[in-house]
Amino acid sequence: MKASFTEFQAPAWVANSYLEDLEGFWARRMHSKKELELAGQEIARAKSYYQFNARRAETLQAEIQRLEAILDLPSRREYRYEVARVMRRDLSAWWQHLILRKGRDHDIPEGAAVVFSGGVVGRIVEVNAFTSRVELISSPNFRMAAQFEGDPRPVVYEGVAQSGFGDPVGRVSDAPQDLVANTKEPLQLVSTHLGGTFPPGIAIGKVAWLEPGSTGIFQAGDVALDPDLLSLHEVAVLIPLNPIEIESHDP
Amino acid sequence: MILDPRAVVLLGSNALLLFLTQMVNSATAEWPFYLFILGPMIVLPALYLRHQSYFICTFLTGIWVDVSLAAPFGLFTISFLILGAIIFAMRIRFRAEHNYHPLLLAHVVNFVLMVALTLATGYEHFGVVGFWIQIFTTLFCSHLALLVVGPWFFNLERLFFEVCRMETEPEDLPLL
Repeated sequence: MKASFTEFQAPAWVANSYLEDLEGFWARRMHSKKELELAGQEIARAKSYYQFNARRAETLQAEIQRLEAILDLPSRREYRYEVARVMRRDLSAWWQHLILRKGRDHDIPEGAAVVFSGGVVGRIVEVNAFTSRVELISSPNFRMAAQFEGDPRPVVYEGVAQSGFGDPVGRVSDAPQDLVANTKEPLQLVSTHLGGTFPPGIAIGKVAWLEPGSTGIFQAGDVALDPDLLSLHEVAVLIPLNPIEIESHDP
Repeated sequence: MILDPRAVVLLGSNALLLFLTQMVNSATAEWPFYLFILGPMIVLPALYLRHQSYFICTFLTGIWVDVSLAAPFGLFTISFLILGAIIFAMRIRFRAEHNYHPLLLAHVVNFVLMVALTLATGYEHFGVVGFWIQIFTTLFCSHLALLVVGPWFFNLERLFFEVCRMETEPEDLPLL
């Protein structure tokens, strides 16, 4: 019944999202030719820069594969990036969700990682025929394995209830005692491959202060998340090319 | 007739209100304001319709809200039916043809629904100050908005009755 009602409601939101796109299209058509020429020049510059970076990334990728082959390392998870438009933002004290305009029609799986240019966005928690729901990294129900940049030891990141005022925040715990963070040199928290969902090295946020946790053995602190997280228009869903099959041990 | 055609109009109006509220919430996601305006949805069905039509309208509205929001599925369906039944049982006391009583009921229902949602989903975060700040901000903004949205919504529903050439009076008018 839930799925039927969800699919029944979805067309209204999809239509609304396309109307917003159309509004943007007509708004851009109102720009003068001079403005369009300047924008075109900027895009051309950005394009040549990204083309250079893409070639450099290919070279580095080949080098990584060569070194992995020499060291006989196990193969890493590979992902396909599916760029999706944000149809609706639903950010409240009870939940922090985004609704995307792509679902099963684009093979988006439940549990897939969602990222944007600023880092981790969240995880897919519900997939419908043409839409999917993302639980934001700032959501109180979100939890993932993480690590500090340059330090391989795993820590735990979890979302916290947001006050609504100020930038979004999260919480890191189980940080080793020898780590020191301060406002001048905040520690960068990144994703790790340990959770299985996110590829390693994707930015989560910055930690400017660590204090002894409740156990006294590890440290904990607040994580400042990217403020753009609350105004996203487009995100990328990471679809694993070789999904891990979880074997059932039930008799 | 099992289903009063007005139940369909009221269901459509409820869907429209939810859609508009979510559009506003999506547009203002960067700001600390979140509108939670579900109270008016069950007031006129409980005051205007006979029990069968009221039940169908409120039940479908509840499911509609449940699938749209990320709350535990069934929370709003059950809450709507319970609160609607209470209003239905006392509806002889309320003047449904004016906005004053429906608006008061909408405020009470909205508050109760918000408390139910907080108890059902947020009990793990009761110790977090930020959680309560946002809850009270949402409560304040929603009830402030309800002062404007409530009368507009009730008038819109009555207007739909007139446009669709339906009965504009409640089933049981209060005894004077």
